[in-house]
Amino acid sequence: MKRLIKSGSLLPAVQRGPLVKITVDGQLIDSYEGETVATALLSAGIRTFNLSHNQKKPRGLYCGMGVCYECLVSINGVHGQRACVTPIESGMIIETSREFKV
Amino acid sequence: MIESFTLAVIGAGPAGIEAAINASEMGIKTILIDNFPLPGGQYFKQMPKDFHPSSETATETEGTILLQKLQKTDVVKLNNALTWAIFKEEKEDSWLVALYGSECPKYIRSKFLILANGAYDTPIAFPGWTLPGVITCGAALIQLKTQRIAPGTRALISGTGPLLLSAAAHLIDAGVEVVAVCESSNIFPKGFKYSFIMLNHWHRLLEGAKYMSKMIMAKTPYKTGWSINGAHGNEKVESALISKIDNNGKVIKGTEVEISVDLVVSGYNLTPNTGLARMIGCEMQYYAGKGGWVPIRDDTMQSSIPGVYIIGDCAGIGGAENARLEGLIAASAIAFQFGQISKQEVNAIFDKIKPQLNNQKQFGDMLSDLFSPKPGLINLVSDDTLICRCEEITFGEIKNAVARGARTIGEVKMITRVGMGNCQGRMCEHSVTAAIVQTLADEFISHNAIGKYSVRPPLHPIPQSYLAQSAIDEIITAQ
Repeated sequence: MKRLIKSGSLLPAVQRGPLVKITVDGQLIDSYEGETVATALLSAGIRTFNLSHNQKKPRGLYCGMGVCYECLVSINGVHGQRACVTPIESGMIIETSREFKV
Repeated sequence: MIESFTLAVIGAGPAGIEAAINASEMGIKTILIDNFPLPGGQYFKQMPKDFHPSSETATETEGTILLQKLQKTDVVKLNNALTWAIFKEEKEDSWLVALYGSECPKYIRSKFLILANGAYDTPIAFPGWTLPGVITCGAALIQLKTQRIAPGTRALISGTGPLLLSAAAHLIDAGVEVVAVCESSNIFPKGFKYSFIMLNHWHRLLEGAKYMSKMIMAKTPYKTGWSINGAHGNEKVESALISKIDNNGKVIKGTEVEISVDLVVSGYNLTPNTGLARMIGCEMQYYAGKGGWVPIRDDTMQSSIPGVYIIGDCAGIGGAENARLEGLIAASAIAFQFGQISKQEVNAIFDKIKPQLNNQKQFGDMLSDLFSPKPGLINLVSDDTLICRCEEITFGEIKNAVARGARTIGEVKMITRVGMGNCQGRMCEHSVTAAIVQTLADEFISHNAIGKYSVRPPLHPIPQSYLAQSAIDEIITAQ
């Protein structure tokens, strides 16, 4: 779960946006403006975004395009946000691994 | 004050953009509404605006050209606007489109509607499919192509269809070790009868060959007639069990192999996104080869409701080229109905694109014959496998509901709560239907008898405070 740096034959190298700091579960993490919250979390090695509400089982990214609601996290105190479609902004405070009901 | 348009196009992918451009050029006051920050849909998905790639792929260039064309029109574009409901306004003979987003109006009004909501990966349940690290083909490709991140280090790909090859090649390109691609269909030797059709689609052949050569260079096995049986791990995927499956999708005992991986990519072709069409009451039919429930349409892409047109993959999986042709057809039909172009002009447009449309249909029919997910794939699950991810309902609970007399998907929903969670049934409808079919195998029950989930507003979860504010705004406006 790493950001790609080198060019491949199908995936040319990319110049990312401004480097920004975000807070994930109380820790400062580097991210790039414009990438999704899911990308920032995966790049930081975080795969469990929330716990399911009955069985408290780990859940994370699944459909990646905003239809399945499996990747919900809390962003700036507002819970139930889809990590896969929400772009990162500088100073965002993200919380994972809790129970999130929309 | 709610702004009025002649045409509202919902969904800014290849179909919606093409429809909006053409309608606007034919003099129709058009608004193009999309849920994402940037238009393009999944096929022409743009990178975040701060990202600058060193070069563009052919598809990206095609998308850039289409988006530049859109910029030059008078189309009003609303991004970050989630359509949560559409209401019929009988008095005004128009549609009220309800939107959710921080910077969009709460409602717009339109005389005609074009629904272009695209599709998503058909979710197929198997033991362990809810573990973090199991993602869809679409998710993998988005992460790689538009976010430039490798979603794992050692991957198994399982499913059906040409997207698996694309996912494999892109993962390999990103340095991910792809241990195997399991294609559940036995496409050989059936595929050879289509060689003639394929020759008409040489650009797609070339693309497939490019992906195949990536796999060959990386020594990635392409296992046809194989499938994942389960993903295992404690907090995340640690291994995957694969096996040969028979023509019904049942596991062939003794062929199982456990492979250590940290990523499982599951891609079983696509399901049309029909939520809005269902909500407003468009008549639907079940068509397995088109991805499941699809709206009934006439030759001009008009649904059973006059003035409502449905185009692209949300009306049946056909791909981006087909979607753009359907966009042009719907826009022309509306322009004719609204008196902007003559009967001769609209016929000339239809005649001109007919050969291309037939060509696309041939190709689509071939793909659906080769790569429809097998109904027997439901045999991969066990009684304790979750079928409804949101409400955490197992296969065993669905079987129980059927044993208690439930015969339709609506009855199973009422008894068990399947399909009542955040995703509104998009993730479980396919598997719940398959579970009912399997449980009632002796009765040969049809998809029409089982039926489909009914869809009511809101289509997506939206904060109650937003709805409350909408109500307050309405009262203030009324005063």
